[in-house]
Amino acid sequence: MPDLVIRNLHANIADSDTEILKGIDLELSKGEIHAIMGPNGSGKSTLSHVLMGHPGYDVTAGEVLFEGQNLLDLGADERSRAGLFLSFQYPFAVPGVTVANFIRMAVNAHRKGGPDGTDDPIRIPAYRKQLMEAMELLEIDKSMASRSLNDGFSGGEKKRFEILQMAMLKPKIAILDETDSGLDIDALRIVSEGINRLIGPDMGALIITHYQRILDYVTPDHVHILMDGRIVRSGGAELAHELEASGYANISQGVSSDGV
Amino acid sequence: MTAWLEERRRTAAEQNEALAIPSGADEHWRFTSLRGIDFAAYASSEQAAAGSPEGAILADGDHAGRVVMRDGGVVLEQIDPSVTAQGVVFGSIKRLAAERGDLVEPVLGTIVGYDEKFAAENGALWTDGALLHVPAGVKVELPFHVAYEIATEGAAQHWRLIISLGEGSEATLVEEHLPGRPGYANGVAELVVADRSHLTYVVVQDRHDQSLHFAAHRAEIGHDATLEWAACSTGSKTGKTRMETRLIGAGSTGRLSGVFVVDQKRHLDLDTTQEHDAPNAISDLAFKGVLLDQARSVWRGVIRVAEGAHGTDAYQENRNLLLSPNARADSIPGLEIDTNDVRCTHGATAGPVDPMLKFYLRSRGIPPLEAERMIVEGFLEDALERIPNERIRTALTTAVMRRIPL
Repeated sequence: MPDLVIRNLHANIADSDTEILKGIDLELSKGEIHAIMGPNGSGKSTLSHVLMGHPGYDVTAGEVLFEGQNLLDLGADERSRAGLFLSFQYPFAVPGVTVANFIRMAVNAHRKGGPDGTDDPIRIPAYRKQLMEAMELLEIDKSMASRSLNDGFSGGEKKRFEILQMAMLKPKIAILDETDSGLDIDALRIVSEGINRLIGPDMGALIITHYQRILDYVTPDHVHILMDGRIVRSGGAELAHELEASGYANISQGVSSDGV
Repeated sequence: MTAWLEERRRTAAEQNEALAIPSGADEHWRFTSLRGIDFAAYASSEQAAAGSPEGAILADGDHAGRVVMRDGGVVLEQIDPSVTAQGVVFGSIKRLAAERGDLVEPVLGTIVGYDEKFAAENGALWTDGALLHVPAGVKVELPFHVAYEIATEGAAQHWRLIISLGEGSEATLVEEHLPGRPGYANGVAELVVADRSHLTYVVVQDRHDQSLHFAAHRAEIGHDATLEWAACSTGSKTGKTRMETRLIGAGSTGRLSGVFVVDQKRHLDLDTTQEHDAPNAISDLAFKGVLLDQARSVWRGVIRVAEGAHGTDAYQENRNLLLSPNARADSIPGLEIDTNDVRCTHGATAGPVDPMLKFYLRSRGIPPLEAERMIVEGFLEDALERIPNERIRTALTTAVMRRIPL
């Protein structure tokens, strides 16, 4: 069975009748890169939030299995410790908590609540070494480790720190929500190289994007087109190029899956 | 007793007699009710057991001197001889009023007058407390420690503090109100921060949950002098604390950063002023509050800029985190400006932990309670990080977080 299985997923804005996801089916395994593309308002960010357990949505039908476990029964922190990661489109500032302390808390929460179940916090020197290596990979100035996370950071810096957290938490499946937005061309290259280094046999990714831009750097195995809360087409990497050429308006004509 | 002191006590007693216990009709007492409190029931006592206080934030060796006042009397006086050799005077204010009238008389009752009920009562009834005098040009690295404790249930403690810094001197004083037993504390602190001197003043109010705590702290800051004031309030059932800064010298700076945590059905009332009487002075006040259960806080802050105090830069803010839907925080900032060419800003907020921020932390694997604790600690951090002494800062952070059951 694939590591992540989404079946007929429906979701509303919490406490409302407004349905955003209208039956999503998707399967993804470690080692695979899937891209979900879609116009604004198609439900891309909602899908990423619902998968992570955002309190702003209610799942009304369907199921999500993560390594055979029902993901929807878990709180956001449990999903994270199970191996799911979300790189936020708009990361939050955490005033008064330094990058180094924040990530160390997260790493320790994973050690404690993960499958290894060790109650042993990571040793500080080992942690510092890992953090510095990851910061180097993402070309982040080391002095930023002692700043409050995302507090006063630029849009591009925030995105780098999302990927830094991903590097430190080593998820099985990472959802990257519009990670390319707000990045200039150099930052996009650095972040993409970072992502490419991290994705491998032990990690899969679901890249959510409006534009093809990031897909020039991170080549997807599969591309899905999301419109009005449904996946209307799936294909290989070439689908992203077709989309870039013809636009979403023409894609919506051919509402058929070419089978993945 | 010396004649001048007797005279001042008499003036204060007359005022105390003339002034009624404040009621809700008084603007400053609109949110803090004293109804049902029987002040007469608290027994004044000068007798108290000797010995070092327990759980004080400064251990032996971490201070340049220590005064402990238990119930009505000072039970411990310590001072580092090397500090005495520099001409520093530190000890019981009752003793020093007799021995060093030259240091006490010019200050006592001149900075905090007797025109307010509790200050007048204190002026008439104070039994002891501490005095710190640092001569001009002398700099003392280690902090001085003054601890107040009510050890006998139902006791009243009328304490008095004078800090008098000579020109160009530097010192730190930590004033700590220990939990002890329930009682009634009413105190007055008068601070003279002379020209070009630098005072760090840390006030830790952790009185017993059933105690009444009233205090008036007031500082006068001279030319190019600086007062760094940190106030941490986690204790007491109800009362009122006045924290007043008067900038009397050009180019002076007064910074006050405060943290408070209130739980249960407790009530905390903070009344602050930043009074700019001289040009080009800076005042900066920031209070962070965390409220739990059915607790209530009131902060009333006034920035007053006198005529001629041009170039004033004044800031005040109070931000509150409500960890319970039944907790309430009132912030009442005010500006009274009688001159042009000033910059005065203020801000106030109150609200629960942002559920989206909490989701963000949880999405990193941090469990819900830990996430909330992290958000609260982070919220208080920028107020606590202004405390200049690291040892004191760490001790206070621990003391504050102990009050938050997350």
